Amino acid sequence: MNHAFKLGEAEYNLGLSRAAEGYRLHVGGRSLAVNLHRNDDGSAVLTLDGRSEPAVVAVRGDEVFVHLDGDSYALRYEHPLQRLAAQAHGSAEDQVRAPMPGSIVALHVEAGSSVARGDTLLVMESMKMETTLTAARDGVVESVHFAVGQSFDRDALLLELMARPEQGDAP
Amino acid sequence: MKRIESRLNCASAEFQANSAHNRALAEAFRAMQHRARHQRPERDMERLRAQNKLFVRDRLKLLLDPGTPFLEFSSLAANEAYDGDVPGAALVTGIGIVAGREVVVNAGDASVKGGAWYPLTVKKIVRALDIAIENRLPVVHLCDSAGGFLPLQADLFADRYYAGRIFRNQSVLSKMGVQQVSIVLGHCTAGGAYVPGLSDYSVIVRGTGAIFLAGPPLVKAATGEDVTVDELGGADMHTSVSGTADYPASSEEEAIAIARDIVAQFNRREKARVEWQAPEAPYYDPQELYGVLPRDIKAQFDMHEVIARLVDGSRFHEYQPNYGKTLVCGYAHLWGYKIGILANNGVLFNDSSLKGAHFIELCNQNRTPILFLQNITGFMVGREYERRGITKDGAKMIMAVSCSEVPKFTVMCHGSFGAGNYGMSGRAFDSRFLFSWPQSQISVMGAEQAANTLAEVKIRQLARHGKQLTAAEIAAIRDPVVAEFRRKSSAYWSTSEIWDDGMLDPVDTRNALGIAISAALNTPIAEPRYGVFRM
Amino acid sequence: MTIDNAGNAFAQVRERARRWPFGRVLIANRGEIALRILRTVQALGLEGVVVYHAADRHAPAVHAANQAVQITGATPVAAYLDADQIVRAALDSGAGAIHPGYGFLSENAGFARKVAAAGLAFVGPLPEQIELMGDKVRARAFVAAGGFPVAPSAIEDDDPASFAQRALAVGFPLLIKPAAGGGGKGMRIVRQAEALAREIERARSEGQRYFGDGRLYVERYVENPRHIEVQVLGDAHGNVVHLFERECSVQRRFQKIVEETPSPALDAATRARICDAAAGIARKAGYRNAGTVEFIFGTGSGDPVFYFLEMNTRLQVEHPVTEQITGKDLVLEQLRVAAGEPLGYSQAQISARGHAIEFRIYAEDPARGYTPTTGPVLALRLPEGEGVRVDSGIAQGQDVTAAFDPMLAKLIVTGADRAGAIARADRALAEFVLLGCKTNTGFLRRLLGHPAFVAGEIHTGFLDAHPEIAAEPELPPDTLHKLLAAAALSTRPLRDGADAVPDLHAAIGDWSN
Repeated sequence: MNHAFKLGEAEYNLGLSRAAEGYRLHVGGRSLAVNLHRNDDGSAVLTLDGRSEPAVVAVRGDEVFVHLDGDSYALRYEHPLQRLAAQAHGSAEDQVRAPMPGSIVALHVEAGSSVARGDTLLVMESMKMETTLTAARDGVVESVHFAVGQSFDRDALLLELMARPEQGDAP
Repeated sequence: MKRIESRLNCASAEFQANSAHNRALAEAFRAMQHRARHQRPERDMERLRAQNKLFVRDRLKLLLDPGTPFLEFSSLAANEAYDGDVPGAALVTGIGIVAGREVVVNAGDASVKGGAWYPLTVKKIVRALDIAIENRLPVVHLCDSAGGFLPLQADLFADRYYAGRIFRNQSVLSKMGVQQVSIVLGHCTAGGAYVPGLSDYSVIVRGTGAIFLAGPPLVKAATGEDVTVDELGGADMHTSVSGTADYPASSEEEAIAIARDIVAQFNRREKARVEWQAPEAPYYDPQELYGVLPRDIKAQFDMHEVIARLVDGSRFHEYQPNYGKTLVCGYAHLWGYKIGILANNGVLFNDSSLKGAHFIELCNQNRTPILFLQNITGFMVGREYERRGITKDGAKMIMAVSCSEVPKFTVMCHGSFGAGNYGMSGRAFDSRFLFSWPQSQISVMGAEQAANTLAEVKIRQLARHGKQLTAAEIAAIRDPVVAEFRRKSSAYWSTSEIWDDGMLDPVDTRNALGIAISAALNTPIAEPRYGVFRM
Repeated sequence: MTIDNAGNAFAQVRERARRWPFGRVLIANRGEIALRILRTVQALGLEGVVVYHAADRHAPAVHAANQAVQITGATPVAAYLDADQIVRAALDSGAGAIHPGYGFLSENAGFARKVAAAGLAFVGPLPEQIELMGDKVRARAFVAAGGFPVAPSAIEDDDPASFAQRALAVGFPLLIKPAAGGGGKGMRIVRQAEALAREIERARSEGQRYFGDGRLYVERYVENPRHIEVQVLGDAHGNVVHLFERECSVQRRFQKIVEETPSPALDAATRARICDAAAGIARKAGYRNAGTVEFIFGTGSGDPVFYFLEMNTRLQVEHPVTEQITGKDLVLEQLRVAAGEPLGYSQAQISARGHAIEFRIYAEDPARGYTPTTGPVLALRLPEGEGVRVDSGIAQGQDVTAAFDPMLAKLIVTGADRAGAIARADRALAEFVLLGCKTNTGFLRRLLGHPAFVAGEIHTGFLDAHPEIAAEPELPPDTLHKLLAAAALSTRPLRDGADAVPDLHAAIGDWSN
């Protein structure tokens, strides 16, 4: 069970299985009878433990948007291979993501740059405000994904860090 | 197909007594199985944690599709061997669902003796791979073994069904186009190195996984070379230099996720077509099986009552209901699959043997898998029966069983004595799967009978030397023989020796058989062909 | 009461409109307001032309317009601010009038002059009126000179020697601000005369520190101020009326979120005073067209006080609430005035009925400091029903980008009274479905359920005082499970994985021997 969704800042691990009728959601040590019938227009009927209610569901890539009981929610699917590979590449701190939509004003580093914790990586602009993004730890810039002037959406992966190679490694 | 009409009185004292007795047996079995699966010395678990390794059961949870069944094989293998120190033979095998595909899992249990291979470990692996070959099931190997257990190397290394058979079976699987993926979660040293080496795909965990023919100490001793584990056979070396392994992973969780994705790439083949209809739960509660089975191994009971608690809707089409009535034959559906059933309702006579042979031929003719429900004291003996040719009639049944092409499944329900074991597709007759109920017994003859025979020989010997034995002396000779015989005829012994694919709580039999039949249908059913029936 | 474009009176206007000096109106705006204006223009039998930047090419107004002219700019916003390009588009498309909407060029006197110079009618006030009200200092002096209430104040620069004395005369509580300041830095509230001298010194040193300028300014401080504004209408013939007030006190970062009318803060007498003051200011300015006079209102020390804040010389975002309770189509009135028609009714003929509340649907995340959100509009369902009006400029398939203001739509609910409107609003917000881009509808529902809002106890600092409204509430486990179920069942790898399990094994489920 290594599928996960992010809802806000929280990450939820879950599994889905098929039952004789409908499906079962495996989450937090529980197994719940669930089902979802989606129509072409996005309207849907969601069933949990035998109780059904209307919902509206839209999907775009790994994002699932759900309107349920008067409120809307966005969940982001994290494929196990991506999620686990990301965990392996160190902490999420190594992935510098856009805190809000905007564009790059200035880049202070390039791939291969060695940075120390707190060093300025780039300056972005959003809503006429400039925001400076800094390195969360010592390391080397693995890749930079946007150039000056390019714009991006929130959570876009702007830049990736990696651990600095250890000293004395034979070439 | 009409419903079996149960004649069981569930309110009777007999039923209640049986029920209490058999429930207690089932609970004892479950408790023992739980210990074999989960109870480990704390230092062994601590060592796993220190090595950053997961317990094999947790690995399986990550590997198998959530909400799907896992049919574990031989959970009590080796339980009566090696002073009980090698629970499950340091290995978990079974059929599970990975990425929607039925696969055989072969998972080393490093919490038991570092996953060392004991003779019964090897036997259990070979059996799991035989199951994969016979049923054309892909295999997922979770490799984490310290290697062969050297003090017992003579019992596991060279013979036909010893360790070499593992690699031979892997190669045969590959030839058959049945795919295998290895996840290297620990060291695969010497022979163990060939498990990933002979797999179509292999994933290796950086840091903990390693593959080499000889580890650093042996290399040092052999050639004087100083080399680290990672340099010698680590994940990065094998996936970027040697090509011995395919996918590096940074954690066990990632390795297992990669393996799941690999299995998801396996083509799903068309299964053998047999009659099928939508499944239906048995009309009679399977829990009542506890009340059906007698407390005494010699007591007779009606197998119709067992069939009624295993098959869909408790419906049964009985063949020749009035002929050879000590062998019940007929058709039913189990989890939707049409099966033929042969079940013992007494000793096998000439007529029941002929009926059995005939029914096996029918099932082969109409491509119906066969379920054998054993409670057999043997073929009838005596002058009258020999004159009627009980031996040649029994031979017909054995011939039909041996040459059967449809998949066979056997459940040791109660007694299994003498040649009846053979006629009813015992272990030697290649049933695709064979399971035992906790109170069942297997031996060439009944324990008392055997002990008496053995004691009698001894007593006569001594009498010839002029010794008259007291009752106490006779008991002293007889009792150990009975005890030893009982031990080795018990289901716990046979499951420890892997004469079966595991012990089952009777109420689990229906699900186990459903999974077994589904697995068996991955292999096409060939046209039947037999040897010469002695007429 | 709702605006009625089907009635007899409207038919007469429609008839007259055939003889107006313009038969085509160019709308120099975008989003919901472009569509809103277009609706009235077309209802009148006139033709509507919209200009649009490529980023808006899928917007509903572009499709609904009789003609759509693409404009370009260094940025999308720059295109809509390009006066010359827009005037040229009007001339090229044969439009005779330009409606500027709100924002962009709507309060740009230079643009109004260019429109007039091109021989086109500007649907708005005269350039001089825009200029007067656009200069905050002149506007304040103009209003004060007319005897209308402005917040008592004293500017140190006027006469540094008498500053302390004049500050005392402003009355308490008062607010000391650095003359060069901004953003609240260096501001100090003084409630007692004894503290004044000391606080002036502190403010001066802070001003020096923050801005390098120690000069100060004081004005009367209104505790828990409310934002109340009055809709006015004037024609070219000297007639001016008001259409009652709107309260817009619920704000975040100085932007309005919820507006309603009538204000729960006003009694009849105060309402009459504030509305008459607004009409008087407009009348003194000879104001023509729709406008809004904004006041700061407080009841700090007992008696209600209100002071002139500024006048907006254009259609307001929140104009629909006024339309809902007065039945007047304000865009229609603007067009009539621009066409030279007299208002044709007196103040006494204007009445209001019911209660209307507008909720601005923003693409923003209130829990993250109201930061704007972006994304595609994957699904859009607008609420419907009695007393529910949605002025929206978005359509499914469009992208919400950071290029424009994050306001997507306005939900206007009308009820017999405030409680009725709130109840209707809750249902309508619950039914407002926009997927693909986070909006503030959940936040708005929390807001309107807040006891202080229900009681009408709101002020411009209301949201700062109640941060729990913006915070994302913790999900009940049941809701979380439903969301995870919906997401899992809508995600191919998960659903395919479950579907791949053979029937038998799915039916047996989680079992092991």
